[in-house]
Amino acid sequence: MKKITISLTVNGEPRQVLAEPREQLVDLLRRELMLTGTHVGCEHGVCGACTVEIDGAPARSCISHAGSCDGASVRTIEGFGEDAVMADLREAFSHEHALQCGYCTPGMLVVARDVVLRLPEADEARVREEMAGNLCRCTGYRGIVRAVLRVLAARRLHA
Amino acid sequence: MTAEQGGLGVGASLRRKEDARFLHGRGRFVGDITRPGMLEVAFLRSPVAHAKLRSVTKPAGAEKSVFTLADLPGVQTIRANSALPGFRVSEQPALAKGKLRHVGEAIAACVAETRAEAEDLAGACVLDYEALPAVHDMLAAPLPTSPLVHEAWSMNAFLETRRDDDVSGLDAIAVAKVTRTLRTSRQCMAPIEGRGVLAEWDPRLEQMIVTTSTQMPHVTKTGLADCLGLDEGQVRIVSPDVGGGFGYKGILLPEEIVCASLAMQLGRPVRWLEDRYEQLTASANCREHHYVITAWADREGKLLGVECEATVDAGAYSSYPFGACLEAAQVGSILPGPYILPLLRCHTISACTNKPPILPYRGVARTGVCYAMETTLDALARKLGISAEAIRLANLVPPNAMPYRNLVGKVFDSGDYPESLRRAVAAFDLDTIRARQARGEVVGFGLATFCEQGAHGTSVYHAWGIPFVPGFEQAHVRLSPDGVLEVRVGVHSHGQGMETTLAQVAHEILGVHPDKVRVVHGDTALTPYSTGTWGSRAMVMAGGAVAEACRQLAERVGAIGAALLQVAATDVEVIGGMVRRRDNDGAVSIADVARTWYRAPQNLPPGVNKGGLEVTAGYRPDPDTGTHSYACHAAVVRVDTETGAVVIEDYLIVEDGGKLVNPMIVDGQVLGGLAQGIGTALYEEMPYDAAGQPLAATLADYLLPGTSDVPDVRLDHMETLSPWTTFGQKGIGESGAIGPPGAIVNAINDALAPLGAEVTDLPASPPRVLAAIQAAQAARR
Amino acid sequence: MKPASFSYVRPNSWPEALKLVAAGARPGAGTQSLGPLLNLRLAQPDTIADLRHLPDYAGVAVEGGVVRIGAGTTHAAIEDGAVPGRVGEIMAGVARGIAYRPVRNRGTIGGSLAHADPAADWVAVLPALGGAAVALGPRGERRIASAGFVKGIFETELAADELLRAVEVPVLPAEARWGHWKFCRKVGEFSKATACFLALPGKAPRAVLAALDWPPLVIEDASMLAKDPVAEAARIVTAFPELGAWRRALAETALRRAVERAGGA
Repeated sequence: MKKITISLTVNGEPRQVLAEPREQLVDLLRRELMLTGTHVGCEHGVCGACTVEIDGAPARSCISHAGSCDGASVRTIEGFGEDAVMADLREAFSHEHALQCGYCTPGMLVVARDVVLRLPEADEARVREEMAGNLCRCTGYRGIVRAVLRVLAARRLHA
Repeated sequence: MTAEQGGLGVGASLRRKEDARFLHGRGRFVGDITRPGMLEVAFLRSPVAHAKLRSVTKPAGAEKSVFTLADLPGVQTIRANSALPGFRVSEQPALAKGKLRHVGEAIAACVAETRAEAEDLAGACVLDYEALPAVHDMLAAPLPTSPLVHEAWSMNAFLETRRDDDVSGLDAIAVAKVTRTLRTSRQCMAPIEGRGVLAEWDPRLEQMIVTTSTQMPHVTKTGLADCLGLDEGQVRIVSPDVGGGFGYKGILLPEEIVCASLAMQLGRPVRWLEDRYEQLTASANCREHHYVITAWADREGKLLGVECEATVDAGAYSSYPFGACLEAAQVGSILPGPYILPLLRCHTISACTNKPPILPYRGVARTGVCYAMETTLDALARKLGISAEAIRLANLVPPNAMPYRNLVGKVFDSGDYPESLRRAVAAFDLDTIRARQARGEVVGFGLATFCEQGAHGTSVYHAWGIPFVPGFEQAHVRLSPDGVLEVRVGVHSHGQGMETTLAQVAHEILGVHPDKVRVVHGDTALTPYSTGTWGSRAMVMAGGAVAEACRQLAERVGAIGAALLQVAATDVEVIGGMVRRRDNDGAVSIADVARTWYRAPQNLPPGVNKGGLEVTAGYRPDPDTGTHSYACHAAVVRVDTETGAVVIEDYLIVEDGGKLVNPMIVDGQVLGGLAQGIGTALYEEMPYDAAGQPLAATLADYLLPGTSDVPDVRLDHMETLSPWTTFGQKGIGESGAIGPPGAIVNAINDALAPLGAEVTDLPASPPRVLAAIQAAQAARR
Repeated sequence: MKPASFSYVRPNSWPEALKLVAAGARPGAGTQSLGPLLNLRLAQPDTIADLRHLPDYAGVAVEGGVVRIGAGTTHAAIEDGAVPGRVGEIMAGVARGIAYRPVRNRGTIGGSLAHADPAADWVAVLPALGGAAVALGPRGERRIASAGFVKGIFETELAADELLRAVEVPVLPAEARWGHWKFCRKVGEFSKATACFLALPGKAPRAVLAALDWPPLVIEDASMLAKDPVAEAARIVTAFPELGAWRRALAETALRRAVERAGGA
């Protein structure tokens, strides 16, 4: 199958890549752009390991095919360098021991950041509901939930 | 407990050194690594559970890109033998040979520039096979009427074991007797990262370098060299960041053998990454047990004896290195649990079926055995009209009996088992729960107590006679010229935080700041041989070895430091990263000593140890029969009697892991295990149909617990040191996964007791819970 | 788990999209349902026509008592209040329960409805709300009542040369009483039984029973269910012996609880 050219902005940089039309975004990011922080977990949209931001909103990169992202702006775990919320989350994740093997962590952080920004009043039950689409096999989730709540609480305090 | 507290050494909740790279997406997993000219592999896998394989027709024009076993000259069969009498060893070919024995068994490797193209090739192959009846039911498998999975065998069983205490007199003297038939479902361990293998041949070193997601790089090296006909020096295993193990990656994979063979043959790096579909359909490989268990007790609930007929579905092959019997053959030795049991009669079968070969999953046999024992105890308590707490208190080994040798010869090192139970029960307001029940609420309280043997040593494993026996664990430490300490271990850390905890151990002995300690693991070329990370052993064994190596290093450092301070070696001590005169009249830093050894050897004292600042030291606890951590799990659940759904309202674990090297990390291990145990208790199940087809092909069908399914658990620690280990630490990595099925189902059954209903099979899924309720309703009519 | 080869086309206009579909292209919207099927190679289209960039594909308009929701409107947009009024409130609540937010950010109401998975949320809810699916074909738009739009598992009333252009729901009065209950073993999982109940002033209540492995059962006059939910729910589910005891119990429970959530009769 003839390759197609895909132009997109990745982590703030305009990129142009050749891809097979069948390629999903996650494979494009990992193979062509060597952004391996985004992980492949289930390839059917359930586990959340591949979650990235597309046009500012979290999305599953394993079931968003690359062609449909032509013209889009994509941000991966590598692209949150100066972001204050992400910095707070990273600190809180480490503090609350919210990661073990680290495989689910990038997707978890992308979703957590969205929860913090979109639902500033979220309580524990809501955080658990919102994070339910990201599976972690190591931590039992307590640290993850507490880390998100910690960042929410700190932001409410300083709001 | 998350804050750093009280120092940096053993006992400190130090934040993890490894966090930073994962939080920034800089972990390096097998799938993140590529090589120039690398080819991707997709496997053509068996679509059927049992068949004679007649032929594979390769796609026209792509014959050279598809490899069957015949195309892999010299590759040997995997044989995971056992010395246990009567064991039947299976021959597991790297790619199917003449027969297909389970759905997902690899038949051919298809090689292409991309995985998608490799899958295209696999899809274009044509299989010719003659289907045979599938051996799908472990209870029917051993019967003479069953077709044979391995033709040369006389029955579909890897092994039978028996212990034959005479329980015939118990009916006459017991006040209560219960019998239960219980079942646990087949599960898939489902680490979020699947397996992955990248094989490349280094012509300069004449070495096969395999980067693979494994918990036991050295054992994989030994097995792989065997199967490839190479000497062990010609194989190097690199295990980079590993996205979860849990036992799933404690195996020599057929795929490792195939990829290595292909890389040698093709002269190009070859990579295979397991996808989720493969994982679920080809590798649901743990936990499937069946029990018929009878227990007798006196009026107080004291156990008089237990009789158990246990069957474990061990699948089609004996996996390397643990073999097919680690579950069933341990049932008899684990059944007594933390209790004083006078008599045990137990017969076990490791049934051979047309399913993926069984592997030891976190908790190994204990999760099922604890479930069987704990639910049976509750049934006894209900019959006797005593509480779940009372029946356990009547049987738990008391602290003054420690160390305690039980009837099967297991030796418990230390602990106050009854206290863990009392603390757990005291943490709940049982009156409120009983009042809610009286109002008709379907809520219940359940307990499970157990102990977990960890760090099994030579004395335990030599009798198994499997491909490895753990001996002395070794660690290598090296002080660099700049004073940085490198610690090299053969165990592998894949979430356990050993890059931090082993640095804490080194700090404890030498006082080098953990930031200045680099723990190196996951590469057979860089680390001493080890059986790897399994059986809750790493912090006991590698922790002990690192401590011992650091102690020996401290002696050498002290001798040089004393010379620099111009005093006798006996007049200094190594403490806080310094060599200090005991009279406090001067000190030099360890870094100064290192600089002297490497850069100013002219200043070394005469007679200095020529071994320098590198030490390899070995460690084994004495006795090495293993540590026993123990715990009490307690759950409150609510049952929706209209749907069968169960909600965990509250969950508490009282746990004793001896000295906790890093309490924060221990909590993480317990909590993570708990979530997996909740999966076993309520969610996870790989059903097979009568044709041996797995019926849950995606994570929408195979349910893993998520954030909303695991409660905000309460943890309480006791800390009874093990008298046998370096710091008193005990293996505790699997513990969290052992108790939940027992505690949760006991809570469900407590809730359902007024309805006369009882759940016996795992997971206690809504259909099963509702069926139990409906059966009780029908029985009342 | 990589898709079989296909070509990817991004039509710029609706007529172009229709031409592609008529020629056999598989329409793709957010691909949150199609993506997994592609990866598992359960769907192997030659061509995917990506509708996401068509003019006016997403968006909501109210006209004459009808809310027209562009087929490409995402679940997340609906969750966040893109649909105004009482019906929007109802739909926002439903949307929040669809899969997970990252899926809702890409998945669309039209894509989900056209995919016609019996367990999907809009498949159950839209027939209860009333209104229609707006199909666009070579001869223009036509309306298909939501109640009959899904006619089988993964099967709709859309003709082979038609695309789902929009979904229409009626503007509902503030007093509209709504009850919706579904059984998922986990947050975001597919439902194993869904029921909806809508009572409008002066009209017979409507109910839907769905997620039962076949098209939704629409009960146009659910007065009996409102009056005696226990007996009527039990009666309704006896029609489905093939469901098995557990799913029947769920279906019965779903009906009762939907009525209850609507505030009873």
